[in-house]
Amino acid sequence: MNRFALGCIVVLLVLLFVAVSVALAIGGSYNRLVRLQQAVDQSWAQVQNVYQRRADLIPNLVNTVAGAANFEKSTLVEVTNARASVGRVQTQIDPNKAPTDAAQLEKFQAAQGELSNALSRLLVVVERYPELKANQNFLSLQAQLEGTENRISVERGNFNKTVQDYNVAVRSFPTNFIAGPLGFSPRPFFTAQTGAERPPPVQFNFGTPAPAAPAATTSP
Amino acid sequence: MPKKMRRSRLIGASRSENAIHLVLAAAFIFLTIGSHAAEVIPPKPPGYFADYANVISREAAYRFNEQLAQFERETSNQVWVVVYPKMQSDSSVEDYTRRVAQKWGVGQKDRRNGAVLFVFVQDHKMFIQVGYGLEGALPDATCFDITEFQVKPHFREGDYEGGLAVGIDSILKAIRGEYKGSGKTVAEQHRGSRATGLLPFIIFVVVLIVISRMIRRLGGYGYSSGRGGPVFLPMGGGGWSSGGGGGSGFSESLGGGGSFGGGGAGSSW
Repeated sequence: MNRFALGCIVVLLVLLFVAVSVALAIGGSYNRLVRLQQAVDQSWAQVQNVYQRRADLIPNLVNTVAGAANFEKSTLVEVTNARASVGRVQTQIDPNKAPTDAAQLEKFQAAQGELSNALSRLLVVVERYPELKANQNFLSLQAQLEGTENRISVERGNFNKTVQDYNVAVRSFPTNFIAGPLGFSPRPFFTAQTGAERPPPVQFNFGTPAPAAPAATTSP
Repeated sequence: MPKKMRRSRLIGASRSENAIHLVLAAAFIFLTIGSHAAEVIPPKPPGYFADYANVISREAAYRFNEQLAQFERETSNQVWVVVYPKMQSDSSVEDYTRRVAQKWGVGQKDRRNGAVLFVFVQDHKMFIQVGYGLEGALPDATCFDITEFQVKPHFREGDYEGGLAVGIDSILKAIRGEYKGSGKTVAEQHRGSRATGLLPFIIFVVVLIVISRMIRRLGGYGYSSGRGGPVFLPMGGGGWSSGGGGGSGFSESLGGGGSFGGGGAGSSW
């Protein structure tokens, strides 16, 4: 066999080897991205879980509080309305896929934030009703609400961590070339609620309902 | 003459010594300032029950520890009770205790069936931190019921032993039946497996010796038995030490790697 043919064969083998290595590398990166994306979706499902748990507690809470003598209805109405709006936003969100654009997540966060605000106002108003504060049922509900708030903050923290791992992988040097074409884009985080650094206004003039939420919070 | 010498020695030594002293003092000050602001996650307690505030008698502490160990043998749930004098954190009790319990890894990794009752005596706070796997059996309402209406009356009067006895009984009653136990605690299982872990290694060494003997007989190169010995000894030495190191680690760590999701409730008295 002449040297030219031998040379061609060697070059072809080298090219084949390079092609196979590149394919394996891309395959490895793709698998890694898939795994990280699944982790993000799973932690998103967990976040939905704990928010749903809080929403499920609301009717019970409203009934217990409404039973107290002369409880002013405006705060209760607020809570019920906020829960309804959370339910509406819920239907637009896929619980099994983490949101891909920041506006969608912002909308979800805003609705949940309204509910949080309404709940905290309700609990402030409850302070004026001593027979409610001594009611065992109400105390148990309050403990459950605090529990769900804990769980929400834990799952949001876990979600942010999985999103961070995923975003780092998508943006890191060799992987970012293939992530775009293969359909992997960075995901948004949970951020602190706008206005959270300001304490909610509390007014102690009894007999008048508490004022509306500060204008800074975005509405759905 | 002696006075002069003394003076020169002092002056000559004092400049560099002063500088060193100044640096050391500054370092010490910065370190202590830093340590006051930081949050401290305490180390894992050695057993199921630990009292760092010295409010429980020794007999009661031993009794609680045995009760909780037996509970793990029967149901595989790990329940720990830890009493501290003060909470070493600026955060809230539910957030801090969750991170501590998560770091300790109470409960088995796959079942996540751990629960820890934290008591901070000087802060007058207690919290039951519940792992993911036990949230069904020990929901927040039950935890609150236990801490507020069963343990708190005792703590209010300073009866820590009575309060903890009632609390532990209630917690165990609530979660009994949630998982099946294996009759051994996690620590006991690891201690047992350490011995069995060395067995496959021994078999491996024996097989190697047999194979090498066969090869020598077949090859006929006339190696003396002395040649084969040194090859095995270093491997053997490495093997024993790794087995021993693993074993001593297990007797201290009781946690199985369970995780905590923020469930549970607590009270202050």
